[in-house]
Amino acid sequence: MIFKPNGIRRNLLAAACATSVLALTPSLSLASCADIKGKGDINIVGSGMPSVVHISKELEACSKGTVKVSVKITPEARVEAERAFASDGKSAFDAAVVSGGVYSGLSSRGQIQPMTDLVAKYKTKFKIEDNMLVKSNGEVMAIAYQQNAQNLYYRKDLFDKHGLKAPTTYAEMLAAAAVLKAKEPSIDFPIAQTFSKGFDISTEFVNMFVGFGGKMFKAGSAQPAFNDEAGIKTIELMKSMLPFMTPNALASNTDDVMNQFQQGKAAMGVLWASRAARMDDPAASKIVGKMEFVAAPAVMAGGKSATHLWWDGVVMPKNLANDRDVVFQVLMEALDEETTKSGNDSTIWIRSVYKPTRFGTGVTLSAKAGAPTWPTEPYMGLATGELGKVIPEVLGGTMTAKQALDAAAVAYAKAATEKGFIK
Amino acid sequence: MKTKSFVQFVGPSVVLMVLLLAVPLITTFYLSVRNCSMEMELVKIEESSPFGVKEVLTQRAKLDASGRAIQNCSFVGLDYYKKVLGLDVSVDTVVDQPDAAKSGGSNVVGAAKDQKAGNEFIGALKFTMIYTFVTLPFVLGIGFLLALGVNNVTQKLKGFIISASLLPFIITPVVAALSIKWLFRDNGLVPYLLSHVGIEVFWMAQAWSARVLIIVYGIWHVVPFAFIVLYAGLQSVPQDSLEAATIDGASGWQKLRYVTLPHLAPLLLFITLIHLMDAYRVFEPVLVLTQGAFTTSVQYLTYHILLQENNPYKASAAAVLTLIGIVFLLIPLLVKTWREQKRGF
Repeated sequence: MIFKPNGIRRNLLAAACATSVLALTPSLSLASCADIKGKGDINIVGSGMPSVVHISKELEACSKGTVKVSVKITPEARVEAERAFASDGKSAFDAAVVSGGVYSGLSSRGQIQPMTDLVAKYKTKFKIEDNMLVKSNGEVMAIAYQQNAQNLYYRKDLFDKHGLKAPTTYAEMLAAAAVLKAKEPSIDFPIAQTFSKGFDISTEFVNMFVGFGGKMFKAGSAQPAFNDEAGIKTIELMKSMLPFMTPNALASNTDDVMNQFQQGKAAMGVLWASRAARMDDPAASKIVGKMEFVAAPAVMAGGKSATHLWWDGVVMPKNLANDRDVVFQVLMEALDEETTKSGNDSTIWIRSVYKPTRFGTGVTLSAKAGAPTWPTEPYMGLATGELGKVIPEVLGGTMTAKQALDAAAVAYAKAATEKGFIK
Repeated sequence: MKTKSFVQFVGPSVVLMVLLLAVPLITTFYLSVRNCSMEMELVKIEESSPFGVKEVLTQRAKLDASGRAIQNCSFVGLDYYKKVLGLDVSVDTVVDQPDAAKSGGSNVVGAAKDQKAGNEFIGALKFTMIYTFVTLPFVLGIGFLLALGVNNVTQKLKGFIISASLLPFIITPVVAALSIKWLFRDNGLVPYLLSHVGIEVFWMAQAWSARVLIIVYGIWHVVPFAFIVLYAGLQSVPQDSLEAATIDGASGWQKLRYVTLPHLAPLLLFITLIHLMDAYRVFEPVLVLTQGAFTTSVQYLTYHILLQENNPYKASAAAVLTLIGIVFLLIPLLVKTWREQKRGF
């Protein structure tokens, strides 16, 4: 139930980033939309991720004749989509660009419209590929277009200089950080990760916690299970990283971490792959060509890559205001092969015409190293919301890990009870 | 005035106030004493995504004949108010502890939560009050000094200085807060300059500096408002009184103290009223500068409940509590204004 990559706070920066994203985006060959029959004022909502900015141009290019398409890019996209899809009347938005996490919530509440028949009708025309289809019990509920994951960024030049190998575990990462802190004069704080309060730190927690084999919830129930030994180990591991991170770490979001990398002030860290291409943006980065991307480290030797795989895609609400056929065609025009080709480097596309770049290697390697998909329980957002509030308290020294996890468990359980997930 | 004329004059304002103030307030209060939840059922689903197919046991809303989720709504009284205030002492939510025997079971967990919720609200309220009362004197003082300064510069410079001074007030709060953040974060201009004189401060690394940043933002952003209001007030200071004071041998300070300031007093009260209301709702700098780390505000808590807990009912209770707080804060000033109005000032 959270907008990826980093929800509200990062999306607040979207407007500021949009200009540079567009500068990075190759010249667009906008959707033709010539043969879309029908009419309607189609409204679509999405967050300010680079790929959404790219797609929005394609969507708005479909405003022709009796069809008018407007895309609202907003930091509140998740909330706006959820409110519109849940309204008793017609939805204010005919479609939304959402992450797998947001999809889970909408889907669990029965607010998404199946698209199975439309996919069958237009599969050939728009070359819709099978792995783009997000299905629930065989019904197509969403069309995915990009994948994402938090993977390890590391400064290959500095690692080579000091004879270090790319870390495959957090223990190796901490050892490498100790070497760099002692020997590399240009680096004061070798590790940079998104430890800011809320979504960021809770996502880091879930990545590592699942890596330790932890289960967020009791099997077949919404009861919390994260306040256990694996949870404590996770927070202890996070604490052990702090001496190698900027003292501002607890307020560092994706934008801040990206900035630390771009300015050459940090040498490694787990960050969203969707930011990788920005490392080579000469207008903002001092480390062009120096950053490499590999699988997120495991939390223990022999463990799986401690990260999660995400997808982003489009969904249509059940309470659609316009002609669903027209809306679907507009969406597919904007997600066609040309869109992938023209924005090849802006994200990690799912379509087979996507030419993988080095910016996507971390995701591929993380998947190969066993990274699971982000949990799809509809109450996941409630749990991460509570965890995100209390973990900084532990890292700031005002609570113990056990106290924090217990507090989060009870707060989550109350919220889940209020929402009807726990009876 | 005839009743009909009175109604014609006042009617539109009353209708607008009812629509834009009373109705939303009543709706918010109504929501705050209710709760709606969906009727969920445990289902096994085969999910397929770009990463493969898997079978999951999860919860789905039960749907009615029209395909809409079935909602259960009920009156919950002041439950949400108690929860926001941390007064929810009943351990009505049983958490199955994974290691209940070791930790003492769910009661221990409940105690931890109750304390946390209370601390959270009190912490937010405390900082909100600190922010409100620390920024107020600076806003009034700096705004007044700026107004005096601009009032005394040559006509040629006035336009430029007024425009420049108003910039912080014109900029959207989120953008303004981002500007401050970018100045003070790692590799920002301020830490960079300070490092040249041997001072190393990580502004978002501890509570005091994070709070200082938020307060600095608040002063910087609101001073132009005080300035422009007081500058306008200075244009109407009675010149004959000032001249009379000069003839009587009053010094510059005495003229300021006994003529100018009394003339500006209603405006100072007005700025105080507006700033108290605004400051109590401090939100953007808390969200942007620290994402709520080390310090939160009452308004930030409401935001968090609405967006993270996704609970509009509880968020409504928090919003009503914020409103009550503002009313309490303004009571002395409102009483003063009321008395002055009655006296015919």
